Amino acid sequence: MMLNDSQNSNSIILLKDVTKKFGNNVVLDKINLSIEKGKTTVIIGPSGCGKTILLKLMILLVRPTSGEVYFKGQRIDNLEEDELSKIRTNFGYLFQSGALFDSLTVAENIMFPVVQHYKVGRNGKIDELVKTKLALVGLDGFQNRYPAELSGGQRKRVALARAIALNPEVVLYDEPTTGLDPIRADIINELILKLKKGLGLTNVVVTHDMTSAYKVADRIIMLHRGKILADGDADHIRNHPHPVVQQFIRGQVSEEDLAVLRMTGTAAETQFLPRDFEK
Amino acid sequence: MKSETVLELKDRTLQGLEDLGRFVRFFGESLSASARGIVRDETYPLITTQMNIIGVMSLPVIMVTGAFVGMTLAIQAYDQLAGMGLEEHLGVLINISVVKELGPVLAAVMLAGRIGGALTAELGTMHVTEQIDAVRSMGTDPVEYLVVPRFLACLLLTPLLIIYADLMGILGGYFISVIQLGINSQAYWSFSANGVDLWDVVVGIVKGFFFGAAISAISCYKGFTCKEGAKGVGQACTEAFVASFISILALDYILAVISKNIYNMFWPVKSLV
Repeated sequence: MMLNDSQNSNSIILLKDVTKKFGNNVVLDKINLSIEKGKTTVIIGPSGCGKTILLKLMILLVRPTSGEVYFKGQRIDNLEEDELSKIRTNFGYLFQSGALFDSLTVAENIMFPVVQHYKVGRNGKIDELVKTKLALVGLDGFQNRYPAELSGGQRKRVALARAIALNPEVVLYDEPTTGLDPIRADIINELILKLKKGLGLTNVVVTHDMTSAYKVADRIIMLHRGKILADGDADHIRNHPHPVVQQFIRGQVSEEDLAVLRMTGTAAETQFLPRDFEK
Repeated sequence: MKSETVLELKDRTLQGLEDLGRFVRFFGESLSASARGIVRDETYPLITTQMNIIGVMSLPVIMVTGAFVGMTLAIQAYDQLAGMGLEEHLGVLINISVVKELGPVLAAVMLAGRIGGALTAELGTMHVTEQIDAVRSMGTDPVEYLVVPRFLACLLLTPLLIIYADLMGILGGYFISVIQLGINSQAYWSFSANGVDLWDVVVGIVKGFFFGAAISAISCYKGFTCKEGAKGVGQACTEAFVASFISILALDYILAVISKNIYNMFWPVKSLV
């Protein structure tokens, strides 16, 4: 476990004893986590284990119930929204569904953060910027389309182009490959690697797609019931002794779950013929 | 059994108060963001777009509403006044009702349905699909970007739309009274002119600012706090309309009391006449 690496000078994001509760439901329980600069950290775990909340906590889209969040050594969880706005420009966030503005074109979507923070008129320079960002994700020429006219994979790539529009230092990915076929998922994986190698970005990826996790990760963290269950590189996770980790990475059902399935009768008994219902 | 009911009542009351508190905070944020937004050049194109959606596109329904109000009033009131031989006073009754109460209130209710529903559904869908979070994640205040243009457009255009509703109400009333019911045109207008003060018209239009602010703030708030899924968006729209409608009526009452007091303060003699 690398819980006490908060002194690590390479740490760019640091969570200290972060707890998040919704009512009485503890989603994250005293999480200590340091994200290393220039590396790709992958957070895995079953659905509903609080992965997305953890990601949102890093840029305070969700506020922690208790605990502290640091960005480059500066505490940010106690800042007001307008101060946070400035901090957030150092981040790019790729939402699970892309979250593109559907009333704006692809180009306007990518321009959005730039126009919001800099005084730019609609001139050649901004078009050039949009072109380079789109080219990076392989979608140059799609400028005038609307999000509704794109496929799921294209939408995610445009959303990624928008996330990196302000040249952020950190990109946070919420399930970037979910809902994509294996080939399109791999395009996203390649893009994540490209951003790290080419631009030296720090990536934090939340996923339950193990193929993707092994491919992009420098470090994998497994969350389970609000706590960090495993933390290490891909080999460390592959050989992790904990049965829950093994079940998750192999995609196996636990014995308990199987027992419940067996209890509920055989498949044959549950079949019915429509004619049984006729008088 | 009894204690359970009491407990539930307590929970609901607390939840209601919490919700109200959050709304007041949201409203305060919208006001301060609007004040900041007015001096920012970037806000103006956004306001223009919203003005088109909220104002220009609402004009036909608002005018139809106004016309029917005037026409219905004429038909309803004629018999009673004619029975007393006072049918030439019909104009006063119609026009004062239209400019002071029915024009503003019914126009606002129409807007709450047309605009309120659309605003809540739009922002609610944006919330559910994480687009509002996306705005925040890029370092932009979603209240400034999404609420301010809608709030300002609604605030400024509701009074203007009320003027149109008033105009159509007056024309509708005139059409039925004079052309259909055969009241003398000159008498109709001269009684109207004597009976309706500029004050009455102004009060009706001023109400529009309050109605516009209430409709947009409530609808945006409901959109921002909407629950997941299609059901959540639908529920938010319903709640937004009901809350807007009740606020319009409540504000109308409060403003009627206030305007009456102000009137009596400045023209104490006239109210005795």
